[in-house]
Amino acid sequence: MISRLLELFLAYEEDPNVKLVILKGKGRAFCAGGDVVAVVHDIWAGGWRAGANFFMKEFSLNYLMATYSKPQVSILNGIVMGGGNGVSMHGRFRVATENSVFAMPETALGLFPDVGASYFLSRLPGFFGEYVGLTGARLDGAEMLACGLATHFVPSAKLPMVEAALCDADSSDPVIISSIIDQYCEKPSLKEQTVYNRLDVIDRCFSQRTVEEILSALEREVVDQRDGWIFATIQTLKKASPTSLKISLRSIRVGRVQGVGACLAREYRMVCHVMRGEFSKDFFEGCRAILLDKDKNPKWEPSKLEHIADTTIDRYFSKVKDEDWEDLKPPTRSKFNLPPYVIAKL
Amino acid sequence: MERAFQRTQVLTNHLLQSSSPLPSQTLSSNACLSYSPPELSENCAFDVKEMRKLIDGHNLEERDWLFGLMKQSELFNPKVRGGKVFVSPDYNQSMEQQREMTLKRIKYLQERGVFKGWLTEKGEEIEMRKFAGFEVFSIYDHSLFTKLGVHFPMWGGAIQFCGTKHHHDKWLRDTENYSIKGCFAMTELGHGSNIRSLETVTTYDSNTGEFVINTPCESAQKFWIGGAAKHATHTVVFSQLHINGINQGVHAFIVQIRDVDGNICPNIRIADCGHKVGLNGVDNGRIWFDNVRVPRENLLNSVADVSPDGKYLSSIKNPDQRFAAFMAPMTVGRVNIAIGAVYQSKVALAITIRYALTRRAFSLKPNEPEVLLLDYPSHQRRLFPLVAKTYAMSFAANYLKVLYAKRTPQSNKAIHIVSSSFKATFTWNNMQILQECREACGGQGLRTENRVGHLKGEYDVQSTFEGDNFLLMQLVSKALFAEYMAAQKRNKVFKGLGLEHMNKPCPVIPSQLTSTTVRCSQFQMDALCLRERDLLNRFVANVLKCKAKGENTEQAFNSCYELAKDLGRAFSERAIFQTFVEAESTLPAGSLKDVLGTLRSLYASICIEDVSFLRYGYLSVDNGANVRREITKLCNELRPHALALISSFGIPDAFLSPIAFNWIDTNSWSLV
Repeated sequence: MISRLLELFLAYEEDPNVKLVILKGKGRAFCAGGDVVAVVHDIWAGGWRAGANFFMKEFSLNYLMATYSKPQVSILNGIVMGGGNGVSMHGRFRVATENSVFAMPETALGLFPDVGASYFLSRLPGFFGEYVGLTGARLDGAEMLACGLATHFVPSAKLPMVEAALCDADSSDPVIISSIIDQYCEKPSLKEQTVYNRLDVIDRCFSQRTVEEILSALEREVVDQRDGWIFATIQTLKKASPTSLKISLRSIRVGRVQGVGACLAREYRMVCHVMRGEFSKDFFEGCRAILLDKDKNPKWEPSKLEHIADTTIDRYFSKVKDEDWEDLKPPTRSKFNLPPYVIAKL
Repeated sequence: MERAFQRTQVLTNHLLQSSSPLPSQTLSSNACLSYSPPELSENCAFDVKEMRKLIDGHNLEERDWLFGLMKQSELFNPKVRGGKVFVSPDYNQSMEQQREMTLKRIKYLQERGVFKGWLTEKGEEIEMRKFAGFEVFSIYDHSLFTKLGVHFPMWGGAIQFCGTKHHHDKWLRDTENYSIKGCFAMTELGHGSNIRSLETVTTYDSNTGEFVINTPCESAQKFWIGGAAKHATHTVVFSQLHINGINQGVHAFIVQIRDVDGNICPNIRIADCGHKVGLNGVDNGRIWFDNVRVPRENLLNSVADVSPDGKYLSSIKNPDQRFAAFMAPMTVGRVNIAIGAVYQSKVALAITIRYALTRRAFSLKPNEPEVLLLDYPSHQRRLFPLVAKTYAMSFAANYLKVLYAKRTPQSNKAIHIVSSSFKATFTWNNMQILQECREACGGQGLRTENRVGHLKGEYDVQSTFEGDNFLLMQLVSKALFAEYMAAQKRNKVFKGLGLEHMNKPCPVIPSQLTSTTVRCSQFQMDALCLRERDLLNRFVANVLKCKAKGENTEQAFNSCYELAKDLGRAFSERAIFQTFVEAESTLPAGSLKDVLGTLRSLYASICIEDVSFLRYGYLSVDNGANVRREITKLCNELRPHALALISSFGIPDAFLSPIAFNWIDTNSWSLV
């Protein structure tokens, strides 16, 4: 599908008859993510390079969308997770509904929030990005709008009308597109238990220097208030791959000061190291436990945060030592006169 | 709605090429200036990350974490300009509001655990981490830097180093977590530099076991005490100590000046120093003590003490030595100011050079596009020497920090002299750099939000606080005189302060300087050592001559002030240059080392271009001209590396300013 999307997007950019691209899913999901099981099978069959090839294509698609010269409207009427975010968050317009469920759940799987998440998560308010990326927390449509992941919220019943109006208008003008969607927009209220009301705790804890300190800060909060949410957050972190947590934290922090192209290039390095399994095989163990055998009991190795040295984390960010390997080179978008620090989100 | 329309038009242009002109445009795209980011046209010949590691020296992750903490918080005044977020204090707020914001920012940082261990941990690691913290804060705002400086190294440092265990146990933890807010009451209305003549007087009441601190006259009021006007709860007061009718000299006492509710304590009067030309985020106050009584234990007694029955006790009998030992640890304040100054230069240069890489003025031939500012040799000549100076100061600052962190009682004297010399040199350089950068940014340098011009007012105080620069340089020359005299006693062998070159034969400057020679580090070192050596000899000779005529040492020093000034400069530049050479030598051969070598030659050349080389005859007029020519060539060679050199400063975009990026879009009508 990624190859097909790449083909289509490239073709649409050249085609003067195409004014904007609307992306939507079928059924109860917009897109639940990349077919990770298939990637794992590919790697078993053809080695890590087969997996790398998948991610190279996927990240190239993400970059294309981030730098696309025509507006993209993604209708996120349902689950949007992992790779699904990669093909929507970099677009200009992201329409959430009452059915939206957002997540970047990679740390539970032994991976890390990729597809340019180190770019879009790090731009969320305060340290919300660290929270979302490390815990894989689920956000609903109202929360997505509140933090900026979604640009609009439209009740699902009105979606056909939005589509029709956009097609009628047949315009590339983002102002016109925005005002059309605005007409069907609603301001959803955040649910009472919303995590968005806990930003002060999130900022206090997830601003800490290291994963260990984040956990300690959360544990201190529990002592002060008996709180199910904090307890659950701690449990989620404890169940995630320690290596994933550390590389995810650094990825988001470093990504905060980088442009989307640099973020994707860096994430490509990281994902290659993950697939090579040089320092940890958590990705394979995570897929086994969660997706294949489904026993939901992954045995991470290294199993403790303290056992992972900073120097090991450094290695995930360095080039792969292999003569055939190359850094991800996002396709040249020079004819569109783009600055290197492309701003993908409004 | 119109505005929103136009606004989105502008934002669209970030991603769309205006090949098909939008209907509202009546001018064709050729006639209008367009912004092109420097990254598109400039190359990177070396690894910017490696260069940053070299010039920052330490704690890069901590710095980046601090940048992140500030950038992600509303308290640090994030503003979106042209699609980018910038963080900088709102200097248009009233003095009161700015003061409150500074305190709020400090509280936020404290809550995030930034200051953990700053006073309760010991060792090199925490010292270097603190320095890194101060360097980052100096990038954001001088008020934040100064208010933290007064609380941690000044108040906190006084407790740590001038106090003893019971002071540490009582005060350090509360200082570290900001349960108490400290300030440093040394300067008085009548005395700033000459602290040995402070007029506050403290006596001892053996009946009650209390010290009684008093401000005997108006000139004795404490003045410029940062933090005192509004927030500080405690202070360390420096005062003459009279015991049994004898003045034992200046000592320090802890005094509480406000209670937990913020009310001023009895027998203490506080007034505001008022609005300043900069640094209005710091509440500087004036303090009068009206026979304030404090317990005997409040004397900071690391060097001297008073027994319960009122006897003065000290293991150091000589009052001069005792005072020196007492004040030695306070050099950390001077070190902090010096290292902070380097980072403000970095901010200004990063902004100015990025701007100069995108701003054009005048064509050389008709119908050609206008020329980029940084392509003019004159603009290069103005800015690249400043970049070289900043790199040199970075290496010297790293040397000073390590010297301080690894200090021993034996190295205290060297730290005192080197920190004085570097503080004076760096802060003077910084003001020169800020002024030049403001001018190089033209009118845009006047807008506060562009930061470059505003920094001048904020940082101007650096040349006179924590030691007046002129005085510090005199102190350096007096110290060098003392070293000279001590060396005479040691059979003319110089040891320490980098003066070992005096033991070798006098360096010789070739009669004809070629380009290769000028760029040779040995020649550069020789030239700087020659100047230092000759000026030291002359200075000593002149001082001795004055003394022979009947002047005392102090009078002789005063008579020789011109030589003293030149000597202080010569020592500084030689010492700074030495750290540059040492840093360069750690690198393996490659593009990084090559560029650094060019910078090093530029730094040396501008030192050698100084008038003192001609005045004292170290260079002939012809050779002076040769050096001058080389400077132009070096600037030209550095042009391709301009962007990489300032990107290596590692300052995130959010801490620069709009003119470092797309200043055309930022100023568009739709964003008004």
